[in-house]
Amino acid sequence: MARMKFICDAERCIECNACTTACKNEHEVPWGVNRRRLVTLNDGVPGERSISVACMHCTDAPCMAVCPVDCFYRTEDEIVLHDKDLCIGCGYCYYACPFGAPQFPQAGAFGLRGKMDKCTYCAGGPEENFSVAEFRKYGRNRIAEGKLPLCAEMCSTKALMAGDSAVIAKIYKTRVVTRGKGEELWGWHTAYGGSDKVSDNLGAKA
Amino acid sequence: MFRSHVSRIGALILGAALALPFSGAALAQSPAPPTTAPVKGADVKHNANPQVTPPTAESPPGQGQTSTAVPGWNNPPANWNQLSEKPQYASLPGSEKNVLIQGSGREWRAFRNGPLTQVGGWLIVIVLAAIIIFYLIKGPIRLKGAPTGRLIERFNAVERAAHWTMAISFVFLALTGIVIFFGKHIILPWLGYTGFSWLTIVSKNLHNFVGPLFIFSIVVGFLIFVKDNLLRSYDWKWITSFGGMFSGHEVPSGRFNGLEKMWFWGGVTLLGIIMAVTGLILDFPNWNQVRESMQTANVIHVIAAVLFICAAFGHIYMGTIGMEGAYRAMRDGYVDEEWAREHHAIWYDEVRQGKRPEKIGGAQPQPAPGDD
Repeated sequence: MARMKFICDAERCIECNACTTACKNEHEVPWGVNRRRLVTLNDGVPGERSISVACMHCTDAPCMAVCPVDCFYRTEDEIVLHDKDLCIGCGYCYYACPFGAPQFPQAGAFGLRGKMDKCTYCAGGPEENFSVAEFRKYGRNRIAEGKLPLCAEMCSTKALMAGDSAVIAKIYKTRVVTRGKGEELWGWHTAYGGSDKVSDNLGAKA
Repeated sequence: MFRSHVSRIGALILGAALALPFSGAALAQSPAPPTTAPVKGADVKHNANPQVTPPTAESPPGQGQTSTAVPGWNNPPANWNQLSEKPQYASLPGSEKNVLIQGSGREWRAFRNGPLTQVGGWLIVIVLAAIIIFYLIKGPIRLKGAPTGRLIERFNAVERAAHWTMAISFVFLALTGIVIFFGKHIILPWLGYTGFSWLTIVSKNLHNFVGPLFIFSIVVGFLIFVKDNLLRSYDWKWITSFGGMFSGHEVPSGRFNGLEKMWFWGGVTLLGIIMAVTGLILDFPNWNQVRESMQTANVIHVIAAVLFICAAFGHIYMGTIGMEGAYRAMRDGYVDEEWAREHHAIWYDEVRQGKRPEKIGGAQPQPAPGDD
């Protein structure tokens, strides 16, 4: 079976926040809960990079390992989901997660956090597919519709990719190899193909 | 073919049109030293002005001097390996939203799911088993002499109320804590997911609300009992000889013996403070404490809790089935004169000499009608 993953190509991400907005809109996520967010590294200095981050659907998921009621499960596509009916809102998944993916609707006194919410890879939850209960608790189930997560599908620069890890890893690898590094990235040849001789390109510009 | 040529030429014109104004701007800024040049200008300069550093056959692309001066594309950012320690920028408001990767969660998970669960769990089981075996072998400590029938009020009503608040809230906290921490391994398999989830939701909320009550009760308990728990010279003898447990000769003690004082200072006071501080950190996520604080608090909380539970086993044992007459002192407040003489000789002498508020009375006062 497929092993569904996200890859964010930091060379391509332009920090437009469309993925985060689309996610909130698609799943009608409550105020204060952000299943996906953008983190910008070295903001404002040369070499700045932005990365879109959400649940990474880990193969050895820490949330699953520490959950006191074992409410997490894995779909046949290796997507990590959880059952909100079982969740007790203890916050341990949030302690353990490297990416800060688990979200809570509240951060109330006496540990009243509410049920944990996180990226479902647009795969809904344990409720019946396309049911009202599923949408209310987990958002839309695009996977059951045969679609990929919306954040990746509508990424304008295709920085964020979703799909079978083998497929998207290959795409990413091709990109890395093709665009090279350092100054190889720039120039007419890299951008548009054709002659890599500088003199040819300068002439064409005139 | 024709279309691809058209699009290629079109792209070149567009690219040139975009590049020209930028290269002009970059040239205007080029006299400025790189450190003070505007950031965007510096980027654009390398990107779009081939005249500044024209790649030649002698310096093929990728080996130019500027390729590493600016952290290049496909080169990881300079502090890539410090991401877990160094917060970055995120437009999203909220605690730690700007942390891309937190590394401490991994250590917390490994320690919590590993040694903390294994060692902690088995320690509780072993201590409980040891006390049961001790009871089966030695049995309860009975009075050696016959009770005189004259009673001393060992604990007054306020002390009993404070102790019962402490005791009941402690038992609730211990049981609910065990459900939350160990329940996945010992209860979930036979209760099932739904049932265990309900039990844990109830446990979590009880734990979170009873916790502050327990803190209040230990503060009150400390103030009430601290005076008679101050260490005296005779306590040393009691502690070093285990109160005469093995010699059969009980060492004289004050109102509280050496072990009770150890429980008071090491258990209720020290572990109580540790549990209270770490518990409050965990109980109030609305204070926006970072995850690392809560991970550390959680580990300390569990270690202290396991020690507290193990020590409490001993305390509860001696206060109930382990010693004849002790539970009655806790419930009704009264002990027999003979009990005081045998187990707390120094206290008994002081009571007899009238140095203490407790008095040796006649028979236990009958409860008033409607009392009890």
